Amino acid sequence: MTSSAWLTVRDLEGWYGESQALHGMNFEVRRGEVVTLLGRNGAGKTTTLRAIMGLLRKKTGEIRFADENLAGRLPEYIARRGIAYCPEERGIFASLSVEENLMLPLVVAEGGMALPDILELFPNLGERRASQGTKLSGGEQQMLAIARILRTGARLLLLDEPTEGLAPVIVQQIGSVVRQLKERGFTVLLVEQNFRFASKLADRHYVVENGKVIDTLDANDVAANAERIQKYLKV
Amino acid sequence: MFELIGIPPMLLFGQLMIGLINGVFYAMMSLGVAIIFGMLRIGNFVHGAQYMLGAFGAWYLLHLPDLFPGLGLPALGYWWALVIVPVAVGLVGAATERLFIRRVYDLEHAYGLLLTVGLAMVIEGLFNVRYGAAGQQYNVPETLKGVVNLGFMFLPIYRLWVIVAGIVVCVVTWFVIERTKLGSYLRAATENPDLVRAFGINVPRMLMLTYAFGVGLAGLAGVMAAPIYQVSPQMGQSIIITIFAVVVIGGMGSIFGAIFSGLMLGLIEGLTKVFYPQGSTTVIFVIMAIVLVFRPAGLFGKETSAFHAADMSNARSDSFLENGRLWLPVLAVIGAALPFLVYPVFAMKMLCFALFASAYNLVFGYVGLLAFGHAAFFGASAYVAAQSAAVWGFPPELAILAGVAMATVIGALFGWLAIRRQGLYFAMITLALAQIVYFYAIQASWTHGEDGIQQVPRGYLFGMIDLDQPLNMYYFVLAIFLAGFALIYRIIHSPFGQVLKSVRENEPRAISLGYSTDRFKLIAFTLSAMLAGLAGGTKAIVFQIASLTDLHFMTSAEALLMSLIGGVGTLLGPIVGAVVVVTMQKEFASLGSWVVVVQGAAFVLCVLFLRKGVVGTLEEYLSNRQARRAALAVADRPETPRAGAAS
Repeated sequence: MTSSAWLTVRDLEGWYGESQALHGMNFEVRRGEVVTLLGRNGAGKTTTLRAIMGLLRKKTGEIRFADENLAGRLPEYIARRGIAYCPEERGIFASLSVEENLMLPLVVAEGGMALPDILELFPNLGERRASQGTKLSGGEQQMLAIARILRTGARLLLLDEPTEGLAPVIVQQIGSVVRQLKERGFTVLLVEQNFRFASKLADRHYVVENGKVIDTLDANDVAANAERIQKYLKV
Repeated sequence: MFELIGIPPMLLFGQLMIGLINGVFYAMMSLGVAIIFGMLRIGNFVHGAQYMLGAFGAWYLLHLPDLFPGLGLPALGYWWALVIVPVAVGLVGAATERLFIRRVYDLEHAYGLLLTVGLAMVIEGLFNVRYGAAGQQYNVPETLKGVVNLGFMFLPIYRLWVIVAGIVVCVVTWFVIERTKLGSYLRAATENPDLVRAFGINVPRMLMLTYAFGVGLAGLAGVMAAPIYQVSPQMGQSIIITIFAVVVIGGMGSIFGAIFSGLMLGLIEGLTKVFYPQGSTTVIFVIMAIVLVFRPAGLFGKETSAFHAADMSNARSDSFLENGRLWLPVLAVIGAALPFLVYPVFAMKMLCFALFASAYNLVFGYVGLLAFGHAAFFGASAYVAAQSAAVWGFPPELAILAGVAMATVIGALFGWLAIRRQGLYFAMITLALAQIVYFYAIQASWTHGEDGIQQVPRGYLFGMIDLDQPLNMYYFVLAIFLAGFALIYRIIHSPFGQVLKSVRENEPRAISLGYSTDRFKLIAFTLSAMLAGLAGGTKAIVFQIASLTDLHFMTSAEALLMSLIGGVGTLLGPIVGAVVVVTMQKEFASLGSWVVVVQGAAFVLCVLFLRKGVVGTLEEYLSNRQARRAALAVADRPETPRAGAAS
């Protein structure tokens, strides 16, 4: 199993100031997989993504990506290694137009999706290119946040709760986008609370609680363990 | 020819032209300040000094053969300067960012402001040491000599060039920021620098280049200004506060606002010179006050999420260092003995400034408002006290009270205007408002301009105690100081003071608990102004003079420096800081014009290495020791059941 791991997170601990948020995260992602981190609010899922991206400074442990330890590296360096990040709050820039938002992330490698392909995936964005970024609807903003990281050539996408607060029909659309991304060979690390959404997409689920992984489920095991999972996520 | 309401058109157009020229410089400078503020969240007080560097750079290039006679260097003229100097000043800016400014990004705004104030003092001080107040002449380049006849007036070609070139530079800068890819990086990084980094963009380097660019603009403005104004070390100091006011008027984060307001305010200033000359130095600050009343975010600013208050306090309220009941008698004893150890006049100076700094600390340390105009209260009170004692024959106690009343009124007014904004804006606004008082004092007849009000009689306290006796005067000052100290302690430890601290720590939460925080801030600000006035009025009686120094912004900066050296938000910090700074000024007085350089260096060093201040550092040591002892005490008693150990 470890032989083909692409991203390996080992014994990751992280702090916000004095308070510890991550208490030894361990998981891995293989090339071409869709993997979710499931868990309640405050479990440490977002913090884990921020740590991988280098946005959480105070941390120990190992974040190994393509045989290179990224812990201690700066965000701009990590981005250039081919990891792209779509934050929970979407991070659409109000002072930029839709098009500027879309073109903002640096192209870090060849093989990113071409603009026409992206606009085919997200037809709404093409119509609204000149609007101010934050004038879009919540769903469109989420589309834009995903769309802009597909251009860059990054092959590992970190998506933080892309379905949060969106209408069911939009959630379905986003689901189909993630599926298409997988078909195109992207690797996706997905943070979710919406298990129904995640269960249809992911190859593997890690259940996170109190800043560490407490359970792992393969996609095949999900049906048999539905109750167990509900228990983990129940508030 | 026609006449406009009795104003000859030549005069009108002439002044409008001068106003437009000034406006171009305001626009170029405030553009740089606005960009730097937007991206780096640094109020670049050193911008004026960088503008001055630009002008001197042009002058140096022209005098290369005289400066380095042995090297056979050519004299490089205006056009060379126009290319070389902005780049050179920009490089100096990049180095400044790398060495100093980068270190304060993650700190409170106050540190950035202090750091740049310190750097400005060092740079301007050094040039002052070398060149003094005299200006250097820089001639208009040959190619731009002569005038054009516009029919209604003659316009020197050089001035036309400055107007056109300046506006072009502003428009190009605006275009790059608002309409290009590079500009989109800048705008995005202003909103959320972390996310922009996560997109692979090297934001730290971009910040350095942005700073260098803004500074380079100041350098360019300096070169363009050299043939118009005198090239002097003071040329930047006089413009920077106006620039801050322009940025406030233009609006937060608005590039266009900075350009537009710069040009307009230059013109308005020119018009004021024609119609109401006395008002020309203050008109920009008055407009700023009016804009703040009606549009707190500025003309083109978007109302953004409020800055939080500056929580820089280092005190623990249960520490014995904060116990005023203990320290009041201790200070009384030390104070009583002091005149037998040092000159009474020197001791009185310490007491006046200790009270001033404590008053400042009340609003800065305990409420977290970065005020930068306390000189207005200190100085206004000094002038009123001096005037009432010297001219109206008030006894000293009434003279001081009159001063205090004046300071309180001004404080309430300024506070009412300034509390609409927080953080660095609060600093810029209080600074600009204080300038109104300063310029008023320069122009009014009763203040006697540069001379100030001199030979103020100390008089007889309550009609019987002769204050010309040094010890009588001293103990009177000591009594005032102790009363002020006790009052401040009382304020901090009242329920009112607790609310103030909660505003400092988390204003939204204080609001949600039902406190009208603006009212609390205003009362605290007014009290602080009143106590600053008490210090200022007393100072005027002690030294028998009220002068422009009392109103100068450096006096405001000194209050901030004293609080910082001693320990912000601590009870004793400002007193310790005042003793240190006043002693330093006395010891370094023999250095002459180097004093400013030394003081500026003290600012910089404090910000970089002594942020907690003397008392704050001591407090930290004590609290660490207490924590260690507590830990040891637990370890020494294994028999104690450790109920909480598992959690």
